[in-house]
Amino acid sequence: MDEKVYGARCKDCGKETYPVHARCPECGSEALEPIEITGEGKVLTYTDLYALPLDYERRYLRLAIVELDSGLRATGQLLDEKPKIGKRVKTTIGVVRQSGDRKIHGLRFVPV
Amino acid sequence: MRPVAVIGAGMTKFGRSEWPLLKLMNVASLAALRDANLGDVKVDGVVVANMGAARLNKQTALASALADSLNLLPAMAESVENGPASGASAFKIGYQAIASRMADVVLVTGVEMMRAVNNLEATDFVASLTHPEAEYIYGVTLPALAGMFARLYMERYGITREHLAMVAIKNHANAMKNPYAHIHQTVTMEGILTAPEAVVNNPPIAEPLHMFDCCPVSDGAAAVVLATQEIAEKLGRPIVRVAGIGQATDTHAVHERPDPTELTAVRLAAQRAFAMAGLSAQDIDVAELHDAFTILEIAESEEVGFFKKGEGHKALAAGVTSLVGKLPINPSGGLKAKGHPVGATGVAQLVELTWQLRGEAGERQVESAKNAFACNFGGFGNNVVATVLTREG
Repeated sequence: MDEKVYGARCKDCGKETYPVHARCPECGSEALEPIEITGEGKVLTYTDLYALPLDYERRYLRLAIVELDSGLRATGQLLDEKPKIGKRVKTTIGVVRQSGDRKIHGLRFVPV
Repeated sequence: MRPVAVIGAGMTKFGRSEWPLLKLMNVASLAALRDANLGDVKVDGVVVANMGAARLNKQTALASALADSLNLLPAMAESVENGPASGASAFKIGYQAIASRMADVVLVTGVEMMRAVNNLEATDFVASLTHPEAEYIYGVTLPALAGMFARLYMERYGITREHLAMVAIKNHANAMKNPYAHIHQTVTMEGILTAPEAVVNNPPIAEPLHMFDCCPVSDGAAAVVLATQEIAEKLGRPIVRVAGIGQATDTHAVHERPDPTELTAVRLAAQRAFAMAGLSAQDIDVAELHDAFTILEIAESEEVGFFKKGEGHKALAAGVTSLVGKLPINPSGGLKAKGHPVGATGVAQLVELTWQLRGEAGERQVESAKNAFACNFGGFGNNVVATVLTREG
């Protein structure tokens, strides 16, 4: 199992995106190369989700959109007891969902 | 292109249905057909809007089933799945069929039976429209996206939970006057926000959104009959013309939008619908907006141009959008209280507006409405259909 999260960089215009598109959202090029989604950033917004989806057994799930210093944004789980808009966090990778025996890895943001 | 009119409208009561899916469609469709009173004129097209019957009810090809059940053979028929915007998309396809002379009379029926499965399964079904790799795997659901949107929106524009509660209170009050609404319950500020027991009555769903900020899970069907203006004129009733339809898409993953508080597809869909109608937001007398979450009614009322950005909650608080205000929004009770059977919703909005324009909306009638607007919001705003209806004469 791949335990990294990848976006894409356009080889023609340099635009970085996450998630990956089939064509660059900026210039339409199909020449894209993978980039790892990693680093520090700040919380753009977050929620505590009490109406839990399938596969989760806990009281609530804390989810966030984070703006990375590279300018890319990503949605992921937020592991922070005191969340706040604008707070500095960094990416880590962990199991974000377990569906039957299948463990799905993804972004888990933790305070810097 | 030739003009198209709505000549019939009908729906089932929204809520929990004891009927099978086909009967739900039949009941709404027959109500619309009876209302249209077509006589010898044949229906030559059927469009069904539905998002999840394949998964929720183990049934597919709904339009073929409906054409047969209603004795409309050999009418052309197709089913449309466009997420929560399926209803207005189906209406658009019916409009196109008549405007382009492929059909003269089209039945458009929206249906969803979501309570056939438990709440977890229903939530997961709707969450399946989120981005599979960048959102869904994290446990993101529609309420989660709405919660993150609301937190940012509220912080930026000074909106409080009290403003959100005002949307719920208004729409529940309107639904009390709508016999088709899922929920008939008067909601008060004390009951859902300020009294000590509000914590129990109104638990958090996706902070800062609580239960009374979210639409219920509903079963239901709604239908309209569309026809050429020529056929409509022979029926001797007030003519409700389809004046404009606009549609736009936006990024799948919400975080990719340059400003995640902007609902660009709502703005563009509305602009396109108004341009086609030759009208502006200021000409609208009554509107049905897609308030799956209370924050969305406020945000959409700004994006479509009724109010400036950041001023929608002020208009709400001033009563502008109440049933007796200058621009009533969601006289039907909206998704919040009328209910949200996803495939039926976009059609039900247009059923309500047809009744409003004909002066047939009973206790919730908006006075002398001539131009009406609907916003059917698919995904979390990544596919939006806006419709303008106008009463002729």
